[in-house]
Amino acid sequence: MQQSQCTKWMTHGEAGLMLFFSMAAFVCAFAAAKALDAPFAFHASLAAVASGVASFAIMNRYLDRPASLPPEEINGKPNYNVGPIKFASFMAMFWGIAGFAVGLLIASQLAWPALNFDLPWTSFGRLRPLHTSAVIFAFGGNVLIATSFYVVQRTCRTRLVGDLAPWFVVLGYNFFILIAGTGYLLGVTQSKEYAEPEWYADLWLTIVWVVYLVVFVMTLVKRKEPHIFVANWFYLAFIVTIAVLHLGNNPALPVSVFGSKSYIAWGGVQDAMFQWWYGHNAVGFFLTAGFLAIMYYFIPKRAERPVYSYRLSIIHFWALIFLYIWAGPHHLHHTALPDWTQTLGMTFSIMLWMPSWGGMINGLMTLSGAWDKLRTDPVLRMLVVSVAFYGMSTFEGPMMSIKVVNSLSHYTDWTIGHVHSGALGWVGFVSFGALYCLIPWLWDRKGLYSLKLVNWHFWTATIGIVLYISAMWVSGILQGLMWRAYTSLGFLEYSFLETVEAMHPFYVIRAAGGALFLIGALIMAYNLWMTVRASEADVGTELALQAAE
Amino acid sequence: MKAILTVHNIASDLVTSVWTPVFVGLFIAIVIYALWPRNQAVFDQASRMPLRED
Repeated sequence: MQQSQCTKWMTHGEAGLMLFFSMAAFVCAFAAAKALDAPFAFHASLAAVASGVASFAIMNRYLDRPASLPPEEINGKPNYNVGPIKFASFMAMFWGIAGFAVGLLIASQLAWPALNFDLPWTSFGRLRPLHTSAVIFAFGGNVLIATSFYVVQRTCRTRLVGDLAPWFVVLGYNFFILIAGTGYLLGVTQSKEYAEPEWYADLWLTIVWVVYLVVFVMTLVKRKEPHIFVANWFYLAFIVTIAVLHLGNNPALPVSVFGSKSYIAWGGVQDAMFQWWYGHNAVGFFLTAGFLAIMYYFIPKRAERPVYSYRLSIIHFWALIFLYIWAGPHHLHHTALPDWTQTLGMTFSIMLWMPSWGGMINGLMTLSGAWDKLRTDPVLRMLVVSVAFYGMSTFEGPMMSIKVVNSLSHYTDWTIGHVHSGALGWVGFVSFGALYCLIPWLWDRKGLYSLKLVNWHFWTATIGIVLYISAMWVSGILQGLMWRAYTSLGFLEYSFLETVEAMHPFYVIRAAGGALFLIGALIMAYNLWMTVRASEADVGTELALQAAE
Repeated sequence: MKAILTVHNIASDLVTSVWTPVFVGLFIAIVIYALWPRNQAVFDQASRMPLRED
């Protein structure tokens, strides 16, 4: 009765976004027509189509929805917004598999170069950024957006701010991934590691990211809980710092507004310094702070234990924030960067070891009183092993930042091994653990389709990681030692080609490790798909299995 | 050191002389806040926040 009485109006957001996307569709179509290069024409056309679809979808959604927007609370309980979280979780799984598969392909290309197929689009140089961006920003980014939207609502006991804004964030972010990824394949890049997307993709990401920040902060502002839970501090640090890093590293001047090519505002060693200030803090605030937020919510929740030391969480959070931002120059040891700057980067990297291990200790010790659950719950095991990998790689990192160690490890496969012990072991496993928790919660299932399959995933992926990182350690140290070996007459002992040949067996082992990791992810995707599809009647099997194990 | 009074010199002096102690002081204040005995009860409650159900 009440609904029929109140007149249905478009919200400011709906009307504004429809206008924005309608205009964007025309502007992008115009840009596509005027484009100076084919990739730009392709991207502008994609953006025109996407804007048109967005405009249409907003109108459709408006026509279908009831006159009033979803209520803040239902029967005194917060009415959580889960739609965008479901979408981001699905995309995380999709991009994860895509990213791992491309990783396996480029690992195989290094072992068997014929797999480059002599085509520009499938060459290692274009696929490598596709792999890194797909796993870090597409997989990791979607996991972070999904979990941050979930955790901020739960720990603030309030519905996410905005009606269309959360959808704008998840859809806009994935559109950025599409533009970035297709750009790499077509040869569009500004050649900055982990910041390859060109100026127009960067501008779009800026808009999306600002909306993400606003949604997150405004949800915190209207929280029902007086205290802001530590995970939200980590998420906020991640969102704010990524915004600063993105703006700091990407001030570029396009050659033409109708072309993809741009030039960065500064050059030479200044550019290198900015790039690695960005690059290392992407590790610090995207791959560390964000995923520590996941750790602080999902491990206590899954283990049913409180955070081990809340005091430690505050101290190590602020120590991380104050120290991380200075560590970047360790990527530029023994280069044209001033020596004092290199030493500064090294010193701060070594100091970082302590707050990193503060986080690891806090994560692991949260299990005190619940260690027995590791035997029966493979999801918790995955989360805990991820923290162990975090501890390992945050010990290895400071060690490699020491100039003397770096003179051996730099430019070798050791770096790749180090990165992957963090990426596969820490970021990968903590994300898998979080998704295994999140999917049943989001779709209102009592549990996962199969815990046995989680167990299979856990062991397949763990063996894969061990193969990967041990192969790269041996390969990297071998490579470094061969490069610096001299004969008694002072000549280099090995030609570069000999060092490449020596890598071959390790490249094969690495590819095998990557294949196992990918198989694990496929098992996971099947398990999650079946969990979502399962009806209430099917859920009982898993519970019975849980009791039997 | 302080021979020429330029904007750059003043700015760099400010960075080196002011911000380091400010950040160190801020961090010490945070540590004191975290370890302050009276805050323990709030932190104990906060550490259980993920476990609460609606």
